[in-house]
Amino acid sequence: MKLLVAGLALALLGACGSDKTGSSPVMSAVGSFAKDSLAKVSPGKKAAATGAAKGGKGTDPSKRRAELEKAGKPVLRVSSKAMGLASFVKIADAKGPVLTWATPDGATFSQRNGVLIQTRGLGGDLMSATGPSVAQLMQPGQKYTRIYYFLGGDDQGVKRTYDCVTTIAGPDRIEILGRAHATTHVVETCARSGVKVKNDFWIEGSRIRQSREWVSSGIGHIEFARVVD
Amino acid sequence: MQLSSRLVAVLALGTALVSPPALAEMSGTLNLNGATGLIDMPSGDAQRDSTFSFSTTLLGPITRSTLSFQFSERLSGSFRFQTWRDWNSELPGPDKESDRSIDLRYQVLKEGKYTPALTIGLQDLTAKGLFGSEYIAATKTFGDKLKVTAGLGWGRLGSDGGIGSPFGSRPPVDPTGTPNADQWFRGEAAPFAGVEYKLNDSWTLKGEYSSDAYVVEDRRGLIERDSPFNFGVEYQRGPATRFGAYSLGGKEFALAFHIILDPKSRPTGGVTGRAPEPVKARPARAADPEAYDGGWVTQADAGSLLRKNLAKRLAVDGIAVENLSYNATTVQVRIRNGRIDAGSQAIGRTARALSHVMPASVEVFEIVPVVNGVGVSKVTIRRSDLEALEYTADNSTLLRERVTIGEAGPVPDYALGDENLYPKFRWGLRPVVRLGEPIKGDIGLRLSAAYDLAPGLVLSGSIYKEIASNRDPGTSKSPLPHVRTDSGRYNEFGDPALERLTLAWFARPGENLYSRVTFGYLERMHAGVSGEVLWKPVDSPLALGVEVNYTKQRDTDGGLGFGEYDYDIVTGHVSAYYDFGNGYLGQLDVGRYLAGDVGATVSVDRVFANGWRVGAFATVTDVSPEDFGEAGFDKGVRLTIPFNWALGTDNRRAVGLTFRPGSGDGGARVNVEDRLYDPIREYHSDGLDPDWGRVWR
Repeated sequence: MKLLVAGLALALLGACGSDKTGSSPVMSAVGSFAKDSLAKVSPGKKAAATGAAKGGKGTDPSKRRAELEKAGKPVLRVSSKAMGLASFVKIADAKGPVLTWATPDGATFSQRNGVLIQTRGLGGDLMSATGPSVAQLMQPGQKYTRIYYFLGGDDQGVKRTYDCVTTIAGPDRIEILGRAHATTHVVETCARSGVKVKNDFWIEGSRIRQSREWVSSGIGHIEFARVVD
Repeated sequence: MQLSSRLVAVLALGTALVSPPALAEMSGTLNLNGATGLIDMPSGDAQRDSTFSFSTTLLGPITRSTLSFQFSERLSGSFRFQTWRDWNSELPGPDKESDRSIDLRYQVLKEGKYTPALTIGLQDLTAKGLFGSEYIAATKTFGDKLKVTAGLGWGRLGSDGGIGSPFGSRPPVDPTGTPNADQWFRGEAAPFAGVEYKLNDSWTLKGEYSSDAYVVEDRRGLIERDSPFNFGVEYQRGPATRFGAYSLGGKEFALAFHIILDPKSRPTGGVTGRAPEPVKARPARAADPEAYDGGWVTQADAGSLLRKNLAKRLAVDGIAVENLSYNATTVQVRIRNGRIDAGSQAIGRTARALSHVMPASVEVFEIVPVVNGVGVSKVTIRRSDLEALEYTADNSTLLRERVTIGEAGPVPDYALGDENLYPKFRWGLRPVVRLGEPIKGDIGLRLSAAYDLAPGLVLSGSIYKEIASNRDPGTSKSPLPHVRTDSGRYNEFGDPALERLTLAWFARPGENLYSRVTFGYLERMHAGVSGEVLWKPVDSPLALGVEVNYTKQRDTDGGLGFGEYDYDIVTGHVSAYYDFGNGYLGQLDVGRYLAGDVGATVSVDRVFANGWRVGAFATVTDVSPEDFGEAGFDKGVRLTIPFNWALGTDNRRAVGLTFRPGSGDGGARVNVEDRLYDPIREYHSDGLDPDWGRVWR
């Protein structure tokens, strides 16, 4: 047992050398774990640190919006309570209908016409996916398939095929950082052998203004809101 | 034989970081022997495929530490280290007796709607017989909470409540460490039974009727037993830890602690680390034909500029650019991947970086991973495929269909190398745990250094200083040359010790051929020269190798001398490696071993795409079991856990462990560093394909 304790102590001390390619993995993991739990305990703090994402207490939403709009670039709000994630993100890559948004700490989200098709840097990432068009979402009751591709824990590819259908929950007036939007709330329900996944979309005109979309079993749902066009 | 100290941390993190999704189905649970079963008895169940467990259990003065692995859906094995304290309290003997044992279990029948799961098992199938037993056990699940087991045991498991000897009497154990096949299922057979009731996802109750009389322990006054009934309760905390408390035979109390790891499931949920740079799209040719002009190749400074830009982008991912060569339409970059655990991801990152750096006229990306200075394969990706598939569903499969993985070929004549890479000095100081048993070994510090003289030519060495040890010092009585069994003396007298000091040369003598020559202090106990040639086509599951070594045995003081042993020998092997698919690798080595014995080693490993590796090996040579010692012949289990699996971060290091039920001088090979097969296979199609999906990571 003594050996184990001494070993653990040594492991935490980490290693040193000229080879910078493999820093101290234990320390970095402990660091990120601590960071995660901190974020979980107090999402408000994290939000403040990453730029008062939710436009939370103490910050005037319209003032925050003005700041964001000043840059003249599109801004997306990405948030997940479970992950302690709350960030205003910018476009890192635009290729036709696909926009890729990047957080400052190195995670990306790719959306095709506003529907999430990829994530990177989250851990249990969505590697690729097919997604419905906005027109498809607006056709309630019409069935379509959606395929998600992940990497399993053993790094082998995993394919999940879902049968999906949407329902229109009704008109919904939502507020995003001090600005009101008249949207239609569409609920997409996707099922696969007893497993159900639910995605919510708030569609304004012909584009998705806000959504709450499933990423993977490990990550759960993430909320997206287009703050600045 | 080494465990970096981080295993402990890995295991600790493994248990701490796992979020607890409940186990949906009722997979088998572990018993006090660290094997699938009830309390002390086995069951007909199996663990889920590829489950790896580490168990420590206490029963009075008996401690059992067991590693178990579900090698396939039906086959599982265990390696156990067992100690009995107070062994001499009533009968003469050492104060502490210890025994190592290997089990194998095979599930003959899986559970059906009406039929039970049926397992045949051999417990302690080779050792001196303190624990030897065989069984057939059947287990049936009723509903989703109750399991009932009944079975028949022989040997130790037939020692209480016997019903006669259906297959004849059990001959005395032949204490040579060879499989005791003549004993199996012989002698008195006794029935055992038990129930397991799952209260909820966390708590389970167990009760059993045991057929183990604990004869040896009872005679020595170690264990008291009034009844054959055992009862207990188990608590599962998340998927990775399980605790048990039991009452045995009415008089004894036992505790169990299990760490259960699934190589197929990452504690961190997935690979972490920064998202990749998006692929840079070229302008459409029709819109901007000038961008596709190849005239840039004539610019004098183009090459060094491109190489510098590429190196800068790839340094973020720990990838070094060995050299770069190009023409107007094709670029070949040779990379050294220093950090990313998956070769496919390193290739993907390189391709993305090339899309940013190379002018639009370059359509073909040739990426050559370099290991030990030599190219091991050439991955050819069309830039337009990369651009087209980046956001397409199932892009990894689609890209793989369009990519070719071929022979690396020679370095192009016009390649631009990097003057910063050769010569280059590297060093490192790392804490190390070296384990000989599951919980025995030493911890210390290793100072290692390497000097890369030229591609493929490296001078390197390491020094080890012990900090603490709980090894039992032993003296070798082996009648063979003490090529391995003096390890106690090497540990005692050689502290600190120069472990290695070698000059190694790696080359490509021809297509599909790889070579290595290592000269110097090859390992702790032997020094000399070692040469190896490997034939491994990029897309072949078969590889063949030849190795020849001439070595002299080193002094035990860890210095440079050879005065203590007057022993030198030529050893060598012919090896065949075969990838059976689905991660099962086999290897056969035939040749002459260090003690001058001649024979063969068979090994089988299960390799996971994420780097986990669990395997077993056995060596049979012309050394008699008596001369070899207690274990009879060299055999053992080995395991590799990559840091990346536990931590998710980019890291190529791993924890490697080898456990043997007993060591001897027969069947020993020189432990030379950087044998060719494994690092080369990593970048061949059989190594890249299983986790090819990470090319887009």
